[in-house]
Amino acid sequence: MYGGGSIFEPVKLDELAHEDPVKLAEFEARIQRGEKIEPDDWMPALYRKQVIRMIEQHAHSEIIGALPEGTWITRAPGFRRKMALLAKVQDEVGHAQLLYSAAETLGKTREQMTLDLISGKSKYSNVFNYPTFTWADSTVISWLIDAGAIVNQMANARGSYGPYCRALERICAEESFHLKYGHDAVVYLATGSSKQRQMIQEALNRWWPPIMTFFGPADKISAHTEILMRWKVKMATNDECRQQFLDMYVPKVWELTLTLPDPLLRKNEAGTWEYTEPDWEEFKQVINGKGTCNKERLAVRRMAEEKGAWVREALLKPEATYVKPLA
Amino acid sequence: MLLTSLDPRINRLQVPADWPNSAVKKQLDQWATYEVFTQKRENTPYAYVGPVHAPDLEVAFVFAKEQYSRRAACFGLWVVKTQDIQHTPYVDDNESVFNLLNIPAPATASEQSEAFEIFMLKKRGKAHTHAGTVLASGYQNALAQAKQQFGEQIPCVNIWVAPAAKILKSSEEDKDWWLTLNEKKYREPVAYKVLDKINAFKNRTTNTP
Ligand SMILES: [Fe+2]
Ligand SMILES: [Fe+2]
Repeated sequence: MYGGGSIFEPVKLDELAHEDPVKLAEFEARIQRGEKIEPDDWMPALYRKQVIRMIEQHAHSEIIGALPEGTWITRAPGFRRKMALLAKVQDEVGHAQLLYSAAETLGKTREQMTLDLISGKSKYSNVFNYPTFTWADSTVISWLIDAGAIVNQMANARGSYGPYCRALERICAEESFHLKYGHDAVVYLATGSSKQRQMIQEALNRWWPPIMTFFGPADKISAHTEILMRWKVKMATNDECRQQFLDMYVPKVWELTLTLPDPLLRKNEAGTWEYTEPDWEEFKQVINGKGTCNKERLAVRRMAEEKGAWVREALLKPEATYVKPLA
Repeated sequence: MLLTSLDPRINRLQVPADWPNSAVKKQLDQWATYEVFTQKRENTPYAYVGPVHAPDLEVAFVFAKEQYSRRAACFGLWVVKTQDIQHTPYVDDNESVFNLLNIPAPATASEQSEAFEIFMLKKRGKAHTHAGTVLASGYQNALAQAKQQFGEQIPCVNIWVAPAAKILKSSEEDKDWWLTLNEKKYREPVAYKVLDKINAFKNRTTNTP
């Protein structure tokens, strides 16, 4: 999945003042021509910093996002669903591997990224700080959170950084299974007994508010957004992604005669979706550590790191030196 | 205090709710780096899929198989240590690195010649693809040989050169590793007939008075 609504560092334009103007112009011209940037190319320090940050957040989101779903593998109804969910969760962890590698090509080591995740310094997608109460919650994640992630990833795949594009190409191919699997699981509940319908309706009610924040708050028109878009780091505004998501998936929820907990949600005559503004104050609180599951997510990741340390230690060879990947 | 979770398995792990800040993480995630190539269809060139980190070439091969060939059709796997690959600079799309670099004509093959694999990148953002094997006395000479043999292929924005002997390659009889794909249809989107279920539901609900 994941990685909607990346949180970029505010751009201070004076950071660009130190860059060689000729090289900067060549760099921007290359992006303008639609060419990709490769790891060895000259790039402004600001580009490097923002792309690392974006890819790293995306990688962490894959890893942490595997936790709320992974907890349902053993409790998924039936062997086939267990196998499918197991495969999906394995895919997500694989996505993290691909993404960490892409970020490494820009010079941040895997060691440092792991450290920044478990120390709470780096962020991941905020929706995973919410709990999955029932099996139905896990199906809503598989369908709608993955759907949101696909909107985001399809946009990013047109971005300017070569290694990220290569990783996203593989990731998007696997996501189509996640989406279908998730949709199927939701439809199964929605078309089942009244108890099953109630379960999926309650899960939707719980997940809708976090889903509406998935792409992040509306972008302010600023030099910050402008430069990220010009450099094709950010390919669509948060609102554009949200509109696209609503357009594709709200009708699919409604056709199952399920409801969404927002009385203002509708598509207006101009074709734009109207909705109740998400609670951005809560979003801020949760992303800064006050969510139900923040502690648990990081604790589980830390524990995995600690419990696996002896394996990595046993395999460590002093003569095997880390270098950044080629591409 | 222990962490309490909705997940009984996490409760059983008895994880402390607050991690001591003094717990310093050991630096154990800095293994060596290897680059991986796969063959997606029989008799097609190997293409770059990405890196893995591992303590040695054999373990890298196992990781690479998990990471890059568990999901899609695969007929072969090559793994090589990143430091064993030498590469040219990148040039613009539509240009040829062979024309822009000053590559001397190759000396004739000598006694010390060994095989080098040549990987070429046609366009930025795409993957390096195996162009072929040359016999050469070293990396520089291999590049010169490659220019003579593959230099007409335009565009070529970047080239990787690696000694064939340094690449760990799957062999012919390893191919059955990848024959389990058909047993895992549940990983394919086509396995989910969602539309049938939705239509049946719609018929059922509209037909009920
Ligand atoms: Fe993913
Ligand atoms: Fe996914």
